[in-house]
Amino acid sequence: MKKSTLSALALSFVIGCGSTLPPKELVDARAAYQSAAKGPAAQQSPGELHVAKQALDGAEREFNDNGDTPQAKDLAYIAIRKSQLAEASARAAIAQKDKEAAEREAGSLTDEALRRARGELASTKGNLEKTQDQLEREKAARIEAEKKAAQAMADLQKIAAVKQESRGMVITLSGSVLFASNESTLLPAAIIKLNEVADALIKGNPDSNITVEGHTDSQGQRAYNMDLGQKRAQAVRDQLVSRGVAQDRIKAVGIGPDRPVADNKTAEGRANNRRVEIIVEPTKPH
Amino acid sequence: MRSLVASSLLSLFLVACGSSIPPPSDKLASAEAAARSARELGAEKEPKAALHLRLASEQIDQAKKLMTDGDNKRADMVLQRASADAELSVMLAKEAAARAEADRAQEKVKNVKAGR
Repeated sequence: MKKSTLSALALSFVIGCGSTLPPKELVDARAAYQSAAKGPAAQQSPGELHVAKQALDGAEREFNDNGDTPQAKDLAYIAIRKSQLAEASARAAIAQKDKEAAEREAGSLTDEALRRARGELASTKGNLEKTQDQLEREKAARIEAEKKAAQAMADLQKIAAVKQESRGMVITLSGSVLFASNESTLLPAAIIKLNEVADALIKGNPDSNITVEGHTDSQGQRAYNMDLGQKRAQAVRDQLVSRGVAQDRIKAVGIGPDRPVADNKTAEGRANNRRVEIIVEPTKPH
Repeated sequence: MRSLVASSLLSLFLVACGSSIPPPSDKLASAEAAARSARELGAEKEPKAALHLRLASEQIDQAKKLMTDGDNKRADMVLQRASADAELSVMLAKEAAARAEADRAQEKVKNVKAGR
């Protein structure tokens, strides 16, 4: 009994001595596992890390039971590989996550670009519609202006002779309608008529320059007739201005007997020559 | 009693010799399959993966020789080592592929950002 106890002690001593010197492979395997366990493998590849731990435990067991055997070295070698695999697996998982994150970001960037492009398209379309709208409005305004002008023309034609000439629209008013003989003061009826003309001019040709010409027949002295023509033209101009025609666009000119439209030898011809012409110049295009 | 002791002694002897262990054909097949997978995943183009693939191939050859010599026990362990190397090679090849894909995706994001 005593002898067997001694021998057992001796045996355990021997084993104890042996266990203090693990093979290099086992030392490496422990280090490899420690490195893997401390790294991202604990999070990313716990399954592979567990397999590595089991392999290391197997190598430790073999070394504890049988000492530095070839088997212990082989198991340690395998344990190293399993730890390395766990680490590689973790890095692969991280790369996969990086890739997914990048793809999501690329996707959202593309979506954003798409949204921006759509927004730009919509605003371009909006602008187009606005331009279209504006064009429509301008067209309507032009039609309205033309209608007004046509209406004004029609109004004028009811009260005076209107002709289109190269110098513009010529409104001819008979002298006998406007003035008493040899007078340059407007008759009351003439004022009413001129007001209508003024209204038509304001409505139909608000931008045109206007010249009022005073014409006479050739009877009497030319200087007198020139003066009379000037005064009559001025009277008509003043009346038109007082009705609202802008004074800076209307001027009065005395022509006198110089531009007859009919024969001064007959009474009828002379009556036609006594007249006031209102010339509305064509509007220059803007 | 005596015969039992004798037979157990005999079996111990047989185990020690390795002659009673059948050839580790399954382990050979799985080690070879793992090495093939590694090759298919492009392990030969990736230095770290290529190293372990080479180790696996060498150990597979070594195990085949051991099996021919009848040392099935040693062949079994060498094949376990070969499998561990081949499986590591597979994972390293996968890692390299995943990293390359991640780099490509991140590059694309960078380009999209630079492009705006």
